[in-house]
Amino acid sequence: MRILWLVLSPLIALAVGLFFLGLSRRVMARIHWRYGPPLYQPLIEIFRYFTQKGSSHGVLFGLGIVLSLAGSIVVILFLPFGGICSMSGSGGMLVVLYMMLLAPLGIALSGGEAANPNASIGISRKLMLALGYELPFLLIVLAIMTHYDTISLVDIVSAQRETASAFASFPLVLSGIAYLLILPAMLGMRPFEVVHAPQEISSGPIAEYSGPYLGLVTIQHALTTFIGISLFVNLVWGGAGNPFVFFLKMLVVLAFGLFVNAAFPRLRVEQAVRYLWRWPTLIAFVGLILVVTLGR
Amino acid sequence: MDRNQLTKWFKAPTKMAHKYSLHAVYFCTGCGVIEIPPTITARWDAERFGVIPAATPRHANLFLITGYVSVKTLRAVIRTYEQMPEPKFTVGFGSCPINGGMYWDSYNTINQLDKYIPIDGWIAGCMPRPEAIFVAVTHLWTLIDKDMADGYKRYRKHYAQYRANQEQVLGELEWPPLFQSEREG
Amino acid sequence: MSLELLMVVALGGSLLTYVLGRVSSRLRNGFAVLVSLALVAMVASLYGKALHVSYYEDFLGMSLVLRVSGLSWLFAMTASTLGCLSVVFSLSYMKGKERTSFYYSMLLLVNAAMLGVVLSGDLLSLFIFWEIMSWSTFLLISYNGGPALAAGMKYFVMSFVGSLAMLAGLLTVYGSFGTLEFGGVAAGMLSASPGYILAIFVLFGVAFGTKNAIWPFHAWLPPAHSEAPSPFSAILSGILIKMGVYGFLLIIFVLVGLRNFMALGADGLPLHTVLSIVGAITILFPTFMAIMQNDAKKLLAWSTVAQAGYIILGISFGTSLSVAGGVFHFVNHAVFKALLFMVVGTVEYRTKGVRDLDSLGGLIKKMPLTFAVALIGVCGLIGVPLTNGFVSKWLIYKTLILERSPFLALVALFGTWGTILYSYKFLHNIFLGQLPEKYKDLERAPMTMRLPMTVLSIVVVLFGVLPGIPLSVINSIDTSFGLKPLNVTLWGLASDTGALNTINILAAVFAGLLIVWLVLKSGGRKVSVDQADNYAAGAAIPKDKYQYSVGFYAPLTRMVAPYLKDFMDSFYMRLAGWVGGLGSGIRRIYTGYVGDYAMYIVLFLAALIFVQLTWSPW
Repeated sequence: MRILWLVLSPLIALAVGLFFLGLSRRVMARIHWRYGPPLYQPLIEIFRYFTQKGSSHGVLFGLGIVLSLAGSIVVILFLPFGGICSMSGSGGMLVVLYMMLLAPLGIALSGGEAANPNASIGISRKLMLALGYELPFLLIVLAIMTHYDTISLVDIVSAQRETASAFASFPLVLSGIAYLLILPAMLGMRPFEVVHAPQEISSGPIAEYSGPYLGLVTIQHALTTFIGISLFVNLVWGGAGNPFVFFLKMLVVLAFGLFVNAAFPRLRVEQAVRYLWRWPTLIAFVGLILVVTLGR
Repeated sequence: MDRNQLTKWFKAPTKMAHKYSLHAVYFCTGCGVIEIPPTITARWDAERFGVIPAATPRHANLFLITGYVSVKTLRAVIRTYEQMPEPKFTVGFGSCPINGGMYWDSYNTINQLDKYIPIDGWIAGCMPRPEAIFVAVTHLWTLIDKDMADGYKRYRKHYAQYRANQEQVLGELEWPPLFQSEREG
Repeated sequence: MSLELLMVVALGGSLLTYVLGRVSSRLRNGFAVLVSLALVAMVASLYGKALHVSYYEDFLGMSLVLRVSGLSWLFAMTASTLGCLSVVFSLSYMKGKERTSFYYSMLLLVNAAMLGVVLSGDLLSLFIFWEIMSWSTFLLISYNGGPALAAGMKYFVMSFVGSLAMLAGLLTVYGSFGTLEFGGVAAGMLSASPGYILAIFVLFGVAFGTKNAIWPFHAWLPPAHSEAPSPFSAILSGILIKMGVYGFLLIIFVLVGLRNFMALGADGLPLHTVLSIVGAITILFPTFMAIMQNDAKKLLAWSTVAQAGYIILGISFGTSLSVAGGVFHFVNHAVFKALLFMVVGTVEYRTKGVRDLDSLGGLIKKMPLTFAVALIGVCGLIGVPLTNGFVSKWLIYKTLILERSPFLALVALFGTWGTILYSYKFLHNIFLGQLPEKYKDLERAPMTMRLPMTVLSIVVVLFGVLPGIPLSVINSIDTSFGLKPLNVTLWGLASDTGALNTINILAAVFAGLLIVWLVLKSGGRKVSVDQADNYAAGAAIPKDKYQYSVGFYAPLTRMVAPYLKDFMDSFYMRLAGWVGGLGSGIRRIYTGYVGDYAMYIVLFLAALIFVQLTWSPW
């Protein structure tokens, strides 16, 4: 049974992630008063990328993107998906935090090898932005881990399901609010879209990708969206007992992200980091202090 | 639009995928730049048909050259075309790329774009309306279906000829030939 | 294998190297490698033994003792291994430089002194070897002259202050217990008053903290690391400054005793909390300093300070998990930081002394193996899973969370993100991006450089995948400190609250890599593209200019730079200025006239007579 889920959960994540990509294009189109592409448009595009001729810039160029995607797949194995968690006992949230590094690191290495300054600029922005949202994010994660006194994600979810989700319990609600405030940054949506910025730095890190490489990057994007949203649902929205409810919760979170995405222009990276280190950090910090003081 | 016919997807998935995800490099040389925004935004919504602007030629498979091509621009046009991954399709937009249009006797523009890079289809007019882009895209679908949008194959086959034409206008080119062997042969 | 023989080989080898250098440089090189290899073998043969020999009886009524324990074996092993690899690395690096005999001799002397420090069984031997180590380090840091001399001077002055503090502590201990042997001191400490222990701890802590470069004693480290010859920087950063860690472990667990240490100031502000806060500051501030550096070695030097903070943070908690984390992180840091300094050394060697991060780039095309080992080293530094840094950092984080110190955990985790920023900058600006025209014909690294780097990178991965090997050694150290042993397996830890299992991660990552790689292979044909054929909006690629590395994190730097003043460094520099001013003020009395001096004598005598007449003290 466990083996089955080991195989299935990346596939489910891929399907959900691709559905989310298609859905978000559709929703954005409707907000723009357009029809938009069909829901399966990302699939068409990935298929097209894989049948095109790719241009490689060196061994690391391919290796980096493979590493990045593999890292994302492993993270998915560690994340509970509505009662299913394939690898629950191998290090918990700390491993997840670290495995989440592999995805940006792989892209950064492979984009750097491409020798295109657009890619380098994009990567430098990505890393700075990540430093920006990691501070409130770590505060949130630590508040949750301290409150439930465990580093295991499965335990965090089950503890929330026994009592109430973090959003509905007192000191943790602050962490939840802070998480909402940084969610667009973690998903790379506007106003924190400065990493890719197609009009400005030609999609940043992925400027030099073509053919199958671009296909893998698109899959990677789908998985990253899945990971970002499911982490949110698991950490502060109590996960779910079955995959279907979990999926519905993810949809709601995605919709929130999309509405923010549609309403805001792009921030410069300094503005973004300044925002992230101001309000979300402050709220998350207060949340952590309350958790520590009330918990004792 | 045969996007929803499942049988076609099973028969020729590659062709279908290429047809319905035309990511375009809009090479707006001068005029024609104003026809593009209404096409891709809410007025005409090209994304319905899978046509979206691509950020770099590496992501694209449709090359739209709008308006006159000056000699200086030609260099960039050729570079961009060569950097696009195969299979790739080109569409000349407006009368100037076709035969020089109102710049037919200018000292600084080229008259026939398809002497330098292969063109799969033309949109005539000075300027064509944005709807014409959709007409061109539907024609391109038909051509892809019938294997007639083979500009990139022609480029490979007659690369020596194309390269000679390019060098005639631009002088010595600073980049090495794209296809080494064909040129010598 | 007797300990005296080991020390004789180490010290005599250093001396003989210099003598042999007069005869033939090849002979000297061969001999130096041989001595360092012999030391590795001799130290390795000491594994698991507990020896205790007094090599000098009746020195001021004490005997000087050499001894080996689990802790000193681990440090000695790391020191001798790094020393050996560094000597091998030096073979090409030092080729054609002047005073090479002196260099090798000093390198071996530092190595010998470090072995002496960790093998001494009493505080006096420790002090003697400590001094030999400090002096020879000073000579090696200022080897290149010029700015290196200033850096060496800074090191020397700060180290000297540390040594003075240590001497004062040593004399205090001798005065109260009448012995300097570790066992005797520890026995005496059991009945000592908390104030006395605190004083001893502070005196020794200044000495060890200065060597370990923890905040606020870090000021000497960045210039010293960047100006020293690269193979020596590897030793300096890898093991030499970790003598401070050894010192802290020694004083906390062997001399003072854990219970005494934890009880210090327990009613008010506990000392271990102060130490962990110092560790946290040492992580946070240097990490941001490292992000702003443009000199590859200076970047690594600041990173060394930051990583030392993790070790101190681990040790200060004094639980079996945290000590294991701290000690393991010491080993790991020694391995990957030595590796990274060697990488810079290789690049420096091939590019004729360039280590400016703004003017390199694209070297991966020319030095693929150097890049690969640099990548592994950087992964270890960040703590990417399946490298050794991950396991040790995991132990430290877990301690912090279990001990309910979320704010310290925040600093440690956030520091890791800072680490990613500067280590990616390091990798990118040297190896990735556009290859400048002038490095088009660069050769790859010579064999004697590739060998030590490869060995170290294998260790990084080995300890990351099989953390059980080093952890079992560290577990025995934990046990010798009287801590509860950890439940170590070959693949990680089996503990009650959240286990670590690297084999699962390894299997998952490999499966993931395989699947994705197959998917990539199944995709369309790929062609190789030269850097000249990159996307530049249709324009030709400008040579040497299509690279983004100057001001890599400019927006962030603009934001944080105003808040990042190294005020401890400016404080020290101002203090040095004051002392210098005082000195030149005093110097004025030396006028050079005999008449003046005669006047001083008369005045002095007059003062003495006045004192005698007034108070009649004599």
